[in-house]
Amino acid sequence: MSLVIHGENPETIIRIAGAARRFFPDSPAQAVCLAPPGDEELRRLGGAGVETVHVLPENLTSQGPAVVVAALAMAVAKLGASTILLSATKYGREIGPRLAQRLGGSYATECIHVESVGEGLLVKRLVLGGAYQASLQLNARPYVIGVQAVADSAGGGAGIPRLERLDVDVDAPKIELLEVVKPEASHVDLERAEFIVGVGRGFKRREDLSMAEELARILGAELGCSRPVSGDLKWMSEDRHIGLSGKRVRPKTYLALGISGQIQHLVGIRDSKLIIAVNTDPNAPIMAESDYAVVGDIYKIVPPLIERLREKLGRR
Amino acid sequence: MPDIVVCVKQTVDVYQLKPHPETLEPVFSQAQSKISDFDLNALEEALRIREKGGGRVSVVSAGPSINQLLIRETLAMGADEAHIISHPLLSTYDGRVTATVLSKLVEKAGRWDLILCGEASLDNSDYQTGPRLAEIFGVPHLAYVTKLEISDGRLKAWKSMEDGLHVASCSMPAVVTVGLEINTPRLPSLLMIRAATKKPIHEYRLSDLGLTEEELNPSVTLRELKALKVERRRVKLEGKPEELAEKLADILVREALAR
Ligand SMILES: Cc1cc2nc3c(=O)[nH]c(=O)nc-3n(C[C@H](O)[C@H](O)[C@H](O)COP(=O)(O)OP(=O)(O)OC[C@H]3O[C@@H](n4cnc5c(N)ncnc54)[C@H](O)[C@@H]3O)c2cc1C
Repeated sequence: MSLVIHGENPETIIRIAGAARRFFPDSPAQAVCLAPPGDEELRRLGGAGVETVHVLPENLTSQGPAVVVAALAMAVAKLGASTILLSATKYGREIGPRLAQRLGGSYATECIHVESVGEGLLVKRLVLGGAYQASLQLNARPYVIGVQAVADSAGGGAGIPRLERLDVDVDAPKIELLEVVKPEASHVDLERAEFIVGVGRGFKRREDLSMAEELARILGAELGCSRPVSGDLKWMSEDRHIGLSGKRVRPKTYLALGISGQIQHLVGIRDSKLIIAVNTDPNAPIMAESDYAVVGDIYKIVPPLIERLREKLGRR
Repeated sequence: MPDIVVCVKQTVDVYQLKPHPETLEPVFSQAQSKISDFDLNALEEALRIREKGGGRVSVVSAGPSINQLLIRETLAMGADEAHIISHPLLSTYDGRVTATVLSKLVEKAGRWDLILCGEASLDNSDYQTGPRLAEIFGVPHLAYVTKLEISDGRLKAWKSMEDGLHVASCSMPAVVTVGLEINTPRLPSLLMIRAATKKPIHEYRLSDLGLTEEELNPSVTLRELKALKVERRRVKLEGKPEELAEKLADILVREALAR
């Protein structure tokens, strides 16, 4: 099996390559990048088992998914790949189905497991709101797969990959990127956080988040949130949104404050080692999915909790 | 005056779905069907565009057994007409089959400037249909759109990406996929529901769409479907806030912060 790995930046490619090595230890992997990786990134790509890094012409992404897909399709043809592994990020989910459609192959995204079986590939992914796991067989080549790569996997590869330019000339329907409005300096890597304090609509006003921020600071935790908090209320940036349509996290501890725990949120936190919830409603779904279910009002519990932790930890 | 086609999917209401206690397979017969959430956002957006600039809004839907009552709901919300097909081979995990059939329904709906879809479906959450349709028709695709404007025949969209909002624009025809944040779908009034009974629902057979069963051969097949079970300790803590804070602080120090 020959693998082509693609993602929006070297970091995601390194993660997918790590996962790919677990799924297909013996298959050579090539990466297709949108821009040349730096020296350190190149070394880590090698560590993750990538043998060759092909670099596409610059500024493809700003022209939209159709252009990237057309370029990737040419790359896949040139490199003769049977399996294309993509990130299961928003970028990857925009590119993947379009690429599969163009190549006439089969497609699945957010795969947590991939293996070869007889005449095809078997993938596992969560469906039905994340409450069920489906095993799907992909029968048509090439296989286009979005990989849910949450953490670094053991590399084991050695050597620096060869760097090559891919000259492709594409003609595809374009979009024009006018502007990127970045959220106020966020850039968290929630997928790697060991401790996450999750914030839900139990918070009544934006100012009240300072309470969660202070708690997270003392605990050395990152802040995450439910979809309405980032999506509807825009109190937090989109990269803190946890769940089916956001990040899948796997911290040692997840502390959910005022989060009801609808299935779409739960799927994002399922791999947490310890889940603690604070909620006024003893019957909120999150309570049955927690190791410790604290029935109470965040407004009354969090301030004294901060005080107690300050005393116990000697932190201010 | 853009003419708009909205793709809607009939899905099982995943909130009602319970696993069989032994097989752990979902018991579909005990849960109701509904129109997938995001698709109602897509329809709402189409209706708002029509209210501003005119044009026609058609709904298309393909599935193993489409319930006309659910399609009536979309007409009651304000869609002008519907084009649907039910066929057992459409109960598939293969997005290619779905997109192929939908593209034929879109053609039946006539001239169009814009296809609006929910970004993903409630049941499979594949994020496939929109981008595949865009590829089939060879048009640009704007995904994860949380705000949409049309002026001088061009679309301007605010796309919600992990690293921020990407403001992008493209010409029509185009495909736009939307999430829950773009709007709040309207609830049809009794009057609208009554008016909808006169609106046309065109139902097709495969052959009407120029398709054969072979063409619906899935490239993806389901092998197993099981509920995930994660056992949690479920220790319930109740009491006065001060006491709870004390207990919680202990737990955090002992179990969460200990190395
Ligand atoms: C297709 C689809 C995809 C989705 N994807 C995601 C996703 O990726 N991530 C996600 O999070 N959601 C997602 N959702 C939305 C999800 O269904 C829920 O609506 C959302 O998770 C609810 O957020 P919440 O828990 O913050 O708010 P609510 O459901 O409103 O819950 C608030 C909770 O706070 C509690 N509360 C209120 N006041 C207090 C107080 N003073 N002290 C303590 N507790 C209090 C309440 O009892 C309640 O349980 C998705 C929905 C759909 C349809």
